[in-house]
Amino acid sequence: MYQTNRKYITPDMKMSDLILDNPSILLLMEHFGLDLIVHEKTVIQLCDQNKINSKVFTAFANMYNGFSLSEVDTFTKNDIADIILYLRNSHNYYENEKYPEIRNYIQELYLKNSSAEIKLIDKFFDEYFEEVKEHLSYENRIAFPYFNELLHFSDSGKSGGGKHDFSVRDYSEHHTDIESKLNDLKELLLKHVPIQNDKTLRRKIIVSLFELEYDLTIHSAIEETILMPLIGNLEKNIN
Amino acid sequence: MNTDSLNIAILEPSEIIFQGLSNLLLKSGKHFQIYRLDNLSGISSTAQFKPLDFVIINPGQIQNKNKEFIAVKKSLPDTNWIGLVYTFYDQQLLSLFDKTIHITDSLESINDLFHKLINSENQIGQNSEQENLSDRELEVLKLLVTGCSNKEIADKLFISIHTVVSHRKNISLKTGIKSQAGLTIYAISNKIIQIEDYQN
Repeated sequence: MYQTNRKYITPDMKMSDLILDNPSILLLMEHFGLDLIVHEKTVIQLCDQNKINSKVFTAFANMYNGFSLSEVDTFTKNDIADIILYLRNSHNYYENEKYPEIRNYIQELYLKNSSAEIKLIDKFFDEYFEEVKEHLSYENRIAFPYFNELLHFSDSGKSGGGKHDFSVRDYSEHHTDIESKLNDLKELLLKHVPIQNDKTLRRKIIVSLFELEYDLTIHSAIEETILMPLIGNLEKNIN
Repeated sequence: MNTDSLNIAILEPSEIIFQGLSNLLLKSGKHFQIYRLDNLSGISSTAQFKPLDFVIINPGQIQNKNKEFIAVKKSLPDTNWIGLVYTFYDQQLLSLFDKTIHITDSLESINDLFHKLINSENQIGQNSEQENLSDRELEVLKLLVTGCSNKEIADKLFISIHTVVSHRKNISLKTGIKSQAGLTIYAISNKIIQIEDYQN
């Protein structure tokens, strides 16, 4: 899950080498809608073939390899559509794959260890998942369409100024909350909730929580430090 | 200040110096999120979406803009302002910063500077391994997880709401758990309350 030797990725590298180095790149590819069979092709070849912006892909790949945002690249208005594509696909992964996977584990856990704590963990997780779904749906329904509208206005040179319910501050607060509850779960399962016949399952849940956190941290960083400033600039230029 | 991850904004026109400084900071073992600024007005727009713990500025960037800089500083009272000095500047200009880093400083002394600034603001955060809650904190926790509001806790324990808030902060720092639902599970797992107390 974690990249240790921090190889800096450039578009002329072979995709298969990147994956062998850091299998999380597979998830990144999925978030861009790329096929997982890569043959001997390079990053730029695969991106061009699938009409993906290779600059955005490479920058994000470097973040998966442990580089910080300031080291990856700078972005422009022309990258916004691909950034949103990545974010939308990740939402699908969270909502339909990762959160349900953890939820199933927790329910299985309760079958083996029917303690009051596990029952509360189950409830905690259900409420948390609902919150996450609400936020994802807010982004899908309100934020992303608004960003697209801004892009459209800025391309056509018209002025925007329509009403919208979007607020950068709310956006960022939601993220902080989602990350902090995830952290609460890790702390509880790792340090406090007593184990009864559930060692293997417990390990699976914790590893899953780490995998989710890994992707979610990069996701939030992309939204907050790449996308938000770009959107801010668009807003400034239009209004 | 949240020591899990610190937000640092850097206003430095030289790419080489910016990259070098970022690299040194990332190697320090702390979790930093680094933002690059192009100009003084970038500080406020960055702080809008992320609270900035540190802003590192090449003093050349604020020369003749003292007033503007002082206004930005005033609007962000929780931020530490650090000058990144590699040429001669007027002492008056440098006095606008909380601390300065010199281009010839060693990695140790830079780390030391950050360490001190972090510690002076957050002594408990550094001590998060010591998880033992004080008796008072236990009392607050018990009331909190049974659904009392800050005001109710304050009334029951004859303390101010402000004190309740500060106890809650310490509880979260010591346990690493922030949400009320999470703290409830913590309290039950550690037998601070009985499950029956919670259900009633």
